[in-house]
Amino acid sequence: MRLHLTAIALAMLGLLAAGPVRAQDITIATASPLTGTCAQDGNAIKNGAVLAAEIINSKGGINGRKIKVISEDDRSDPKEAATLANKLTNDKDVIAVIGHYNSSCTLAGHPIYARGHLLELSPASTSPAISVEGAKPNSFLARTIITDADQGDFVAKWMVKDRGFKKVAVLWENDDYGLGLKEVMEKRVPAYGGQCVAVESYYMGETKDFRPILTKVRGLNPDCIFIGGLYNEAALVAKQALDMGWKPLIFGTDGIFSPALVKLGGPAVEGMMFSGIFLSDAPIPIVQEYSKAYQAKFNIEPSEFDAYSYDAMLVIAECIKKGGATRDGVWGQIHSVKVPGVTGLNVFNASGDVVKDSIKMEVQNAKIVLAAK
Amino acid sequence: MQPLQQLVQQIINGLVIGSVYSLVALGYTMVFGILGFINFAHGDVFMIGTFFGLVLLGTGHFNFTAALIGAALLTGIAGVAIEVVAYRPVRRFGKGFEDTMLVSAIGVSIFLETLAQIIWGTETHALNSGIHSVDFQFWGLNVSSIQILILVTGVVLMVVLHLFVTRTVTGAAMRATAQNMLAARLMGIGVNRIIAITFAIGSVMAAVGGMMVGAYFDAVYPLMGWTAGIKAFTAAVLGGVGSIPGAMVAGVLIGLVETLGSAYISSGFRDGFAFIILILTLLFMPSGLFKARKGEGKV
Repeated sequence: MRLHLTAIALAMLGLLAAGPVRAQDITIATASPLTGTCAQDGNAIKNGAVLAAEIINSKGGINGRKIKVISEDDRSDPKEAATLANKLTNDKDVIAVIGHYNSSCTLAGHPIYARGHLLELSPASTSPAISVEGAKPNSFLARTIITDADQGDFVAKWMVKDRGFKKVAVLWENDDYGLGLKEVMEKRVPAYGGQCVAVESYYMGETKDFRPILTKVRGLNPDCIFIGGLYNEAALVAKQALDMGWKPLIFGTDGIFSPALVKLGGPAVEGMMFSGIFLSDAPIPIVQEYSKAYQAKFNIEPSEFDAYSYDAMLVIAECIKKGGATRDGVWGQIHSVKVPGVTGLNVFNASGDVVKDSIKMEVQNAKIVLAAK
Repeated sequence: MQPLQQLVQQIINGLVIGSVYSLVALGYTMVFGILGFINFAHGDVFMIGTFFGLVLLGTGHFNFTAALIGAALLTGIAGVAIEVVAYRPVRRFGKGFEDTMLVSAIGVSIFLETLAQIIWGTETHALNSGIHSVDFQFWGLNVSSIQILILVTGVVLMVVLHLFVTRTVTGAAMRATAQNMLAARLMGIGVNRIIAITFAIGSVMAAVGGMMVGAYFDAVYPLMGWTAGIKAFTAAVLGGVGSIPGAMVAGVLIGLVETLGSAYISSGFRDGFAFIILILTLLFMPSGLFKARKGEGKV
């Protein structure tokens, strides 16, 4: 008898472990650099997606099915991104991918995702090259962040036309991301009546000594510097310029926009100006709600990329709701959905690019605020 | 700024970064001189040293000088620990196991990088050295106090090391061990002790170099040992692996070449210049600038 009871108890335990019978989870993957130089942003992407899934699940999921997020690390390495793309496409449970971060990684993974009919929705890659790929039929490529072509044009107009800085020195990160921005600047700065007096490249995560470049640029007397790159390097440029007794006006795009910029750059980055979409303490109800939830869950301030990733998850959820929980179902809806998110209304054009407006921001008293002019 | 002043300014920039490469290159070259293998974990020892400094500064109880000395001591101990744990057991197999030590070194390198990422996270930290950088201006040039600090520290340490190796009994023992380990042992030299001292000195130099670049760039991150390590390694090869004066001169040369190259040829090729030098050296001058006589007198 005791044996029987034990057997029944064990059987019940087994049932308990299996959990209540419910509809199968929908798996969405994030692919971003969780280690390496871009790890801060990469982890933000993971966090944003996790938070969105949690909120959607708490409201009953999508048609009763819960979202499960798996997070992969591409280490900012295009080779690694291609390997991951193969892994994720072969995992039949994965319905869509939020990623990658670096434009080079997004482009490296793209052909593999497209072959596997898996949507690659980038919350961070801004290279114009992605629009070219995204415009091809069945590209399975889209993004919730606006392109460098748009942002670069926005900043070029800001520097040259709005502020009257005619002589611009361009420092660019030598990869797909920086190259896109550099090319936009070389076209748009002259278009607004300015001139690129210097165009110098550096390597993200590897160039730490900017003095040779800065010494050269300073000799050319530019009105301002444009950095086509990320916050780590922007902070280094500002600090090393200050160490040389020089305080140039520095502009950039949303790659520079990160709480880490102020933490790393300190007083040197005061007055640095950049474009962006999402400002965590902007007086917009949906943004403030999001910032509160994010801070409560992760105990850190939201940055921009978690917001784009959060919106990416909302977009995918909406596509699943409309088109069904299949890879082709999600892709079929991407160009027709209109999803209000924390970074604005997410609407995608024919090349898979989201269409949103940029805002001007600057660093003031160690805080990132809306720019005065 | 006039072209001539700009050239002089760039040369100063190159000398400063070059003297850091020299400090790190010494660790490679000294270990190679004695043990005949390239300690590929040395770049990561440089990184660990900088993180020790970051932690000491972060406690708020240390100023930069105290943190620098503390970090150097801790890194010296860490260097000896690595020698005892990862290399000495391999060495027991006798001669001809240099390749195995190399693999062991790569293991140590991966271990240190991963450990640092687990403890301190993957992001870049500002060192906040607290050094009030003063900008000296003369003849249209700008030299900051931190640049002077790096140059002076580099030169002083290298002179001290040179005197230590050439003028002291321990230095003589090091040179003897480098020439012939077995004979040195037969002469009553505690070879393991000498090797430990070599690792300690190399690690201290690396930590000082790390703290210098940490303060110079104000950026400390777990993978910082890779680029600095590869440049220093190139310097060691260019100087003639095993030659201490060679590493000193070659480090400065590499700093100059990459600074001037990135200023006057292309900033995009900056890191490429070090590799071009490495390849040219290996092709045309495999024993380096300061040729070490075969099998002896390496240090």
